[in-house]
Amino acid sequence: MSDPAQVQPVLEVENLRVVYGARVAVDEVSFRIEPGEIFGLLGPNGAGKTSTLSAIEGLVKPKSGRSLMGGIDTVKRPLEAKFRLGVQLQSSSFQPELTIRQIAGLYAGLYGMRLSRERIDADLRAIGLDSESGRRFKQLSGGQQQRMALYIAAIHEPLLLLLDEPTAGLDPQSRRALWQRIELARTAGRSVLLTTHSMEEAQAVCDRVAIIDHGRLLTVGTPSDLIAKHKDDPAVLAIARGAVTLEDVFIGLTGSEIRD
Amino acid sequence: MTSVRPPLGLAMRSLLRADSIVLLRNRVSATLGIVLPIVLVVATSFGKTQTRFGGADLVIALALTIGLLTSCVLGYSLSLAHDRDIGVLQRLRVAPAPTWMIMTSRLCVQVVSNLIASVIVVIVGSILHGLTLTGGQYALVLIVAVLGAAVFLAIGQALVGLVQSASAVNAIGRILFIVLLLLGIVGGTGILGDTVKSISGWTPVGALMTLFADVLNQSAWSDQDTYALLVSAGYIVVFAFIGIRWFRWDSR
Repeated sequence: MSDPAQVQPVLEVENLRVVYGARVAVDEVSFRIEPGEIFGLLGPNGAGKTSTLSAIEGLVKPKSGRSLMGGIDTVKRPLEAKFRLGVQLQSSSFQPELTIRQIAGLYAGLYGMRLSRERIDADLRAIGLDSESGRRFKQLSGGQQQRMALYIAAIHEPLLLLLDEPTAGLDPQSRRALWQRIELARTAGRSVLLTTHSMEEAQAVCDRVAIIDHGRLLTVGTPSDLIAKHKDDPAVLAIARGAVTLEDVFIGLTGSEIRD
Repeated sequence: MTSVRPPLGLAMRSLLRADSIVLLRNRVSATLGIVLPIVLVVATSFGKTQTRFGGADLVIALALTIGLLTSCVLGYSLSLAHDRDIGVLQRLRVAPAPTWMIMTSRLCVQVVSNLIASVIVVIVGSILHGLTLTGGQYALVLIVAVLGAAVFLAIGQALVGLVQSASAVNAIGRILFIVLLLLGIVGGTGILGDTVKSISGWTPVGALMTLFADVLNQSAWSDQDTYALLVSAGYIVVFAFIGIRWFRWDSR
């Protein structure tokens, strides 16, 4: 019998609405991610990117709407949905008392896998952290921490990786290396949903992007489609310097005011 | 991925192993749970100090209670609040383990460490203070230690439930520690009058010291023990309810 998750979209978000008190953080957001697709969610600070991800991850309960992970409702069957999901939070933190080898063992166990010490060491070698296996997470550099967080997110070979600003604070070399790992995840058959502030990253990595602001999805498409679609918008033309870029479209749609 | 949902047994074992390592590497917790009570039983073993505290059974009861109070109200609550502050709890929550399992693992490891600490304190205390305990008394000490751990863990859980930041939990925990200790011990001596003395018996520290002391001196079961047991159960229910009802996994 074929797994129904293989023939459905990996993720379907339908009319998702997240409310904190009186504030609407996510307002009727809908999108879907196909198998093997890298999907970028772009938006200024406070636009609703992390809240959208949090609802999919089960960290916040949506007021209405739903998200389906391989056909599984993330609210009604959270453990099964989480089992198919790999997550790298914006500020991933692991127990400061554990070594990274112990962290790998813990998260493998949480996803139902028994990994031998040799297997973990081999995995750490593959991401260039074999010499750090006895060190604590906080003792790693920013780039090493991001590599470790991505390794843990993908340790159980999930259908979908959710990466919340995975390259924030990284130097260009580490950022490029992480992009390669995201590409590798796609090559291995996984889909990726990532949030980012970097238009360069969105254009370099994402198959499709969605721009979100004030909790509402403003537009969805491939980076080149979005440029073609909005290149004649007066707001976009007003800020463009030469040929219209994805950043011009982003600022044209979300406004020039600085968000905190 | 081979199965639809992860086996919870393996997840629980992984959590228990990780939480045990964390506790063993946490020197503050070990110091609070064992060293402090041991210092107390050693310091009171010289001269007439033991008599001033009301006898060997009360000294050891006090040491056991202080060990549980410090490791649960200060150690457990601060560790939980700190992990919440830095995002450890949120990271665990996005894994396919039920939230009750994440918390149960921590509590189990904490209770086991409290039991081990209690046995060590009783052994050292009985040697230094010349008490000879039967196997049955050791068993009763363990039962009361579980009860005491449950009382103070419930209080610690309520503290983390009501207070968001780790630094505030630390500050309020210290104040709470002093208040509970003073009410339970100083109040119990009668120095502050009969009213405070009777109140002291109803405090978590007072109730627990009553049970520990009666186990150690092999007293017959009394009404006072019944009240102490009921009061402790009441504290567990009330504070556990507060700690679960208002607990937040994220400090932001």
